[in-house]
Amino acid sequence: MKSISATNLSKSYGDLVAVNGIDIQVEAGHAFGFLGSNGAGKSTTIKMLTTLIQPTRGKLSILGIDALRNPLKVRDRIGVVLQQPSYEPTLSVEKSLTKYGMMWNISSDERQRRAEQLLHDFELTHLKKRRNEDLSIGQRRRVQVAREFMHDMDLLFLDEPTVGLDPAARRSLLDYLKEKVRGGLTIFYTTHVLSEADYLCDEIAIIKEGEILVSDTPSSIKKKMRRKKIITLRTNVNDATAREVLSGISDCTVESGMGAHVVIESTEPEETLLRVLSRLHKNNIKMREISAEAATLEDIFLETVGNASHNSTD
Amino acid sequence: MHPIIRLINRNLTVSLNPGFLLWQVIFPLIYIFIAGFAYTTLIPSVPYGVATVGYPAYLATGMIGFNIMNSTLVSGLLIWNDRRHGMFEQIMSGPFTRMQYVIANICTIGIIGIVSAVLIILVGFPVFQESVEFSVYTVPILVIASISGSVLFGSLASIISTRIRSSESFNVILNTTFLFLAFASTAFYPAQGAPPELSAIFYASPLTYLVDSIRAGIFGGITEIILIEMAILVVLAAVLFTVATKMMTKLNF
Repeated sequence: MKSISATNLSKSYGDLVAVNGIDIQVEAGHAFGFLGSNGAGKSTTIKMLTTLIQPTRGKLSILGIDALRNPLKVRDRIGVVLQQPSYEPTLSVEKSLTKYGMMWNISSDERQRRAEQLLHDFELTHLKKRRNEDLSIGQRRRVQVAREFMHDMDLLFLDEPTVGLDPAARRSLLDYLKEKVRGGLTIFYTTHVLSEADYLCDEIAIIKEGEILVSDTPSSIKKKMRRKKIITLRTNVNDATAREVLSGISDCTVESGMGAHVVIESTEPEETLLRVLSRLHKNNIKMREISAEAATLEDIFLETVGNASHNSTD
Repeated sequence: MHPIIRLINRNLTVSLNPGFLLWQVIFPLIYIFIAGFAYTTLIPSVPYGVATVGYPAYLATGMIGFNIMNSTLVSGLLIWNDRRHGMFEQIMSGPFTRMQYVIANICTIGIIGIVSAVLIILVGFPVFQESVEFSVYTVPILVIASISGSVLFGSLASIISTRIRSSESFNVILNTTFLFLAFASTAFYPAQGAPPELSAIFYASPLTYLVDSIRAGIFGGITEIILIEMAILVVLAAVLFTVATKMMTKLNF
């Protein structure tokens, strides 16, 4: 069953097309990563999916409900952590949680139980009596995310939830979300930190200028993109000597450093590496260090967005 | 629990912090018991209808209207605070409609206005008890005037909240509005005897209609003029409520 099914979804503000005919399908119980640079259309998309704004055109079904006809029914069953901080400045952390539970019609005993559990899970117990306005940005963000778990939901939207969190809190949140996904919750997650999407999401989509450029599982995207691998060797000779020795080998450049750095950049660098090693050996040049970089989602993202930008400029 | 009740519950929790409540009592107390009695040497009594009332009693009844305006303008900040702190979008992404949010805010403002009026009636009662003439006609006037005044000033603050984003502009506009409405009114002094131009300006402030109606509700003396003032108050409240509701339902994200 699909938790999100958006077809040809578009949003325009006058002449400005913020989102242009995107299709999104998210399976129930999956974590879906939505990536894009600033102004790409991520937040507009999430606002349409959460029924905060109406699309200009397109079809949208959330949890099997026609979201354009029954937005309230949709909002009854989703959770939303918006990009913008949201908090009641004068309320204590604990009161924020219980009051939010009350707004979602959770019984008094149950909201007290959930608040205690969430204070523990999000490491907020020592801050429970502190007012929101006295918290740091990261602490406030943790409260904002924790608060959303005060109510039951089938689908949770998180718009860059880790902004302001330190690495430990970030990892802790991702692990918490992973656990929830294992328990059957569907998550729609936008972020700039691509390693987070790689860690959490079953599927990702990259959006640029309101259009989805690529959508698949992280590993499939990495395979499809066949990004060039980079192998770097440090030698014991200067760069002029290395250049002379390695002249004529394609996909191979020499950079200056403490001993010439030979950089092989290719989609299939193994063959080039053998040729380079053979030449170095023949000329009695020693190799001091070797390193290889694996493809990351971040590189793919930059390449995808960069290529799209380049193509659109062309 | 109905969504509107839940929202009112949340609004009251957010608005009624101890500082606000203390201010709501201490501020009028200073006016009534310090300014009221201090000015008695200058203004021993104020003509009211065919009789006269002491200045402290006159001021105490004016402070009821003043406090309704003060508290509802402050509680009207709810919308501005919700927008500023991201709670407007958060609430709207939850199980609530915009209309429920609007109604809950107006109800919250009304409740705070009525509670403020009751507080000042209780606090100021020893000052004006000698002149009180409650009857089956005056009490409804008092209640209707308090509700209308709450809705009117709450709607006014809500309209300002929906139009202004920066805190500097918001404070300047709200304080200017507050100063004009408070001091160009009959809350502190009667219109009779003031220069005609100033007296006319008093009637540009809706607070005048509110305090005149409240005084009629406490001291009696429901005249034709009071009924006209009441009618103006109710119509103004209805118009501003309609405008505020339309503006709040059109708020974008």
